[in-house]
Amino acid sequence: MTIGIWTYLIYLAISISLTIWVARTLHKNGRVFLVDVFHGNDALADSVNHLLVVGFYLINFGYVSMALKLGYVVNNAQEGIEALSVKVGMVLIVLGAMHFFNLYIFSRMRRRKAVNSNLPPIGPDAFTKVQEA
Amino acid sequence: MRALTVLYDQDCGLCRRAHSWLAEQAKLIELQFVPCASEQARQRYPQLNHDLTKKDLTVIGDDGAVYFGPKAWLMVLWALTQYRDWAYRLATPELLPTTKKVVSVISQNRYQIGKAAGLTR
Repeated sequence: MTIGIWTYLIYLAISISLTIWVARTLHKNGRVFLVDVFHGNDALADSVNHLLVVGFYLINFGYVSMALKLGYVVNNAQEGIEALSVKVGMVLIVLGAMHFFNLYIFSRMRRRKAVNSNLPPIGPDAFTKVQEA
Repeated sequence: MRALTVLYDQDCGLCRRAHSWLAEQAKLIELQFVPCASEQARQRYPQLNHDLTKKDLTVIGDDGAVYFGPKAWLMVLWALTQYRDWAYRLATPELLPTTKKVVSVISQNRYQIGKAAGLTR
């Protein structure tokens, strides 16, 4: 096998295992958030959690496979490692962005719940006597 | 707070339209509608300046808290299930001045807006 093929294979191995690792971390630690957001409705939280992870996998694997092609010939091991580091670096950045996006969604969901408080948004201008009928 | 009394202007088409829209919305807090400066309003709030309530929307909580003008609009939004988060957003220090301006303009021109929109008296 040529060095180019090896580069591709190593790239795939690294990016797929990274994606799986991040997705599992999200799946494991995001659950607590979601259970809280859905007022302890475990079934709904698990379902949403699972759906989020599916979307995460789809987008990341989609990116990994789109970004596979190098577009130039790798002549030796050094060039192979350099190409690999650029490709894996891009995957890491995309994973990081996706991860923060997920966190943002979780915190938004939580805030939406928190907003439902019973405190009026604004103070009154005055108080008046209420004559009950 | 469990209920809000909305003192609205019965002579304005826009207000009546808003009234019927509000009646259909899901609420977190009960809204009671009383025409402003009416006998019912005077009986219920003997110490309130009723001439002032004709100038702009007034909302009164069951604890007697009076919200006038833009504050009253925010309180009405806050009572609605779908718009409570908007009430908080519009009441933030960044947005409150704009909210007040927009609401005042609408309030001051409510008869003209109602007429232009074809909401007859």
